[in-house]
Amino acid sequence: MSSFTRSAQQWATFARSWFVIDARMQPPGKIASMCSVRLQGKHKPIYHALSDCGDHVVVINTKHIAFSGNKWEQKVYSSHTGYPGGFKQVTAAQLHQKDPKAIVKLAVYGMLPRNLHRRTMMQRLHIFADDELPEDIRANLTEELAQPRKIPRKLSEYTQEEIDAFPRLWTPPEDYKME
Amino acid sequence: MVFLTLSCWIRNRGPDRYWKVQELLKHARHFRGRKNRCYSLAVRTVRKAFVYATKARKLKKRNMRTLWITRIAAASREHGMKYPALMHNLTKSSVQLNRRVISDLAVTEPRSFLSLAKLAQARKQEGFRVALGDGKEPPGVFSRVVLLQ
Repeated sequence: MSSFTRSAQQWATFARSWFVIDARMQPPGKIASMCSVRLQGKHKPIYHALSDCGDHVVVINTKHIAFSGNKWEQKVYSSHTGYPGGFKQVTAAQLHQKDPKAIVKLAVYGMLPRNLHRRTMMQRLHIFADDELPEDIRANLTEELAQPRKIPRKLSEYTQEEIDAFPRLWTPPEDYKME
Repeated sequence: MVFLTLSCWIRNRGPDRYWKVQELLKHARHFRGRKNRCYSLAVRTVRKAFVYATKARKLKKRNMRTLWITRIAAASREHGMKYPALMHNLTKSSVQLNRRVISDLAVTEPRSFLSLAKLAQARKQEGFRVALGDGKEPPGVFSRVVLLQ
């Protein structure tokens, strides 16, 4: 690296990488905070707000995003059309039904700094509802980021030996009827 | 008849107005619009610019420090530590480097920064052992815990 010319060294330092995040069974807020950190370039020690050091982030499987708690019914996304009586409020579930990419997009938009760079950073964010990626984006990807949440296994994914080895609080008697 | 007081009526006001005006306009040459040429507009804008410059000297110190902290946080996350843990453990290990120096090391001397991160990590584990363990180090380890016994 020290044998590079200064211009080549600078080009290599400020090159933009492409990250991919799988959002299957992940909370959209955690995905959005990871995205916003990398879109701003705050994961780099050479960060400066003016030096345009943000990277591209590709989010896949946003159709399978997983809110915790009752947020699918309780979280409300509001907007106004500009016309009188045009105040619209939709729950997260309804918005996800209409557009599976919108929740992640709005979350990232809200986490970016409120300046003129925000629109440019949003253009560098690529969201896909499922696994299908266009060829040119797939060719650019450099790194896959780890998922923030460990996905718990379903009961059907445990082997019978693991289920038997699990400690029991009490053994029911022979004639006990369980629902 | 002769007008003897004619010469008293000629006023020679300040001979160097041109240079006084130029002295002020030189601070306005990079402005936009007529305020980079016209004296009356430039006077107001240049005074405002000087006021901003005075206030910004204090802001610059604050902004530089936040920038250093952001850079150190980014570099330490690359090595698996967070900024508060790194700084606290460095001060506990009596490393008196300030944030400016540490951020410059993170940018230009990555291996030195890695060694600082490892030092902080080791001190952090030692702190956990002191807090949670039984006051004894694993055999062969010489640290402040053993020294203080």
